[in-house]
Amino acid sequence: MAGYEHLIVERHGPVGWLINDRPDQLNAMNARMRDEFADAWLELDRDPHVRVIVHTGNGRAFQTGVDVTEIASDGVGMERYRTSLEEWDLHFTSWHQQVWKPVITAVNGICAGGAFHWVADADIVICASDAEFFDPHVSVGQVVSIEAIALLRKMPAEAVMRMAFVGRYERMPAARAYELGMVSEVVDPPERLRERAQELAETIARNSPAAMAATKRALWGALEMGLTDACRAGAQELVSMWGHPDQAEGPAAFAERREPRWDTST
Amino acid sequence: MTAYDTLDVHVDGHVGWLIFDRPDRGNAMDATMLAELERAWQQLAADPDVRVIVNTGNGTAFQTGLDVAQLARDKDALREQSRRTKRAELKLTAWHNQVWKPVIAAVNGVCAGGGLHFVADADIVIASSDATFLDPHVSIGQVTAYEAIALVRKSPMESICRMAFTGRHERMTAARAHQLGILSEVVAPARLRERAAALAALVGRNSPAAMAATKRALWGALELGLTDACRAGAQELVSMWGHPDQTEGPAAWAEKREPQWLATST
Repeated sequence: MAGYEHLIVERHGPVGWLINDRPDQLNAMNARMRDEFADAWLELDRDPHVRVIVHTGNGRAFQTGVDVTEIASDGVGMERYRTSLEEWDLHFTSWHQQVWKPVITAVNGICAGGAFHWVADADIVICASDAEFFDPHVSVGQVVSIEAIALLRKMPAEAVMRMAFVGRYERMPAARAYELGMVSEVVDPPERLRERAQELAETIARNSPAAMAATKRALWGALEMGLTDACRAGAQELVSMWGHPDQAEGPAAFAERREPRWDTST
Repeated sequence: MTAYDTLDVHVDGHVGWLIFDRPDRGNAMDATMLAELERAWQQLAADPDVRVIVNTGNGTAFQTGLDVAQLARDKDALREQSRRTKRAELKLTAWHNQVWKPVIAAVNGVCAGGGLHFVADADIVIASSDATFLDPHVSIGQVTAYEAIALVRKSPMESICRMAFTGRHERMTAARAHQLGILSEVVAPARLRERAAALAALVGRNSPAAMAATKRALWGALELGLTDACRAGAQELVSMWGHPDQTEGPAAWAEKREPQWLATST
């Protein structure tokens, strides 16, 4: 896609940035933005200079789910999305798009409803100290499903159920999200969020891209099956790196006290 | 008692101790330790006096994973370990060795990379306040699989992904691991062994047979969907009916005395 209307895609060193950019609509996702996500993830995934991806938003919200105004006014409504859900054919998160580079979601403000897709499907989540989390689906007659299903496997379930059922009448503050392990870092003051996300991403970019991709496949794959089967499948990912140049370069660089020069051909 | 070169294995009352004892090498697992671990778990599992096992380390490290340098010089051991890794037939931990006695990991210092196996596969984890956790695999071109696969089911996943992708460039403190529920207690370094012994003594007062069935039910639950896990757990539950401990427990309670449990080996 030539230009994005509702997203901004940037590169800073080894870090690819995907920024939600409908600040006046609190970054709610209309049909066009949904299509743009599919392209933006693939663009960053295919760029060999990008080793880590940061996803954040412009304005006072990170994201607020589907654009309800469009749903209510375009005469098509949620029906537009029926097939993609019934056939399980979604493309707007990095997990949907099978991006095996590490993804950091940096929650810059309100994170509501469908926004949890990008919290659930990121590897690492950090947030600004004024970020707030809530899931208003049931308050507007909608079902909470996919994003909460993933979250249930990634964090204490009670907190997810509470958000699902309290709906729009309660918000989880950043501090509680940190306590629960939904996020690993709260950035204060909030204005420092992007700087910190870039720093964290650059730290991660120092590790072997091939080893990280295999690790990500092993860990996300583990959510698909029982523990023993997951370990068996993980063993295959582990063994897939044997003989890869990074496995010699890593220890060599460590011994010589220098930064490793990772293979980026894959 | 059989002698070990790289482990300190002994029994004190009802508590079996399995202590990593290569303090000058950060307790890293060389070929000898790999073989001795399997033997030690079997020995403690088979000993009817042992009702609970404490796993800790001598020196400043808890456990720092495979001693890659030593294994590189011992081709046979390396080949055997590679074969076991590939086939998911590791014999490092209590879980690998199907030990159904309760295992307490007492993390006495740094726990790095493969050391996380012993945290992931323990039933109860406590740590000294100066313990740290990190997973340097991807920083040296290696994949993280088994340890993290088990940990993502037992603790909030984001924190495990963060450890996996930040590699050697970031450490998790004992305090944060406690917040996240990766461990249940943080102890002053000088008091760790004493506290582990006291906790083990408490656990050792419970019915060995009931604890074994409980352990099978709970770890088995990580293999299955919820309803199937409950069905399998029901079998473990019923397996105790008619066992002498089921009459001894209430009888001792009524008579205000310590129960005389049937000794078991698993």
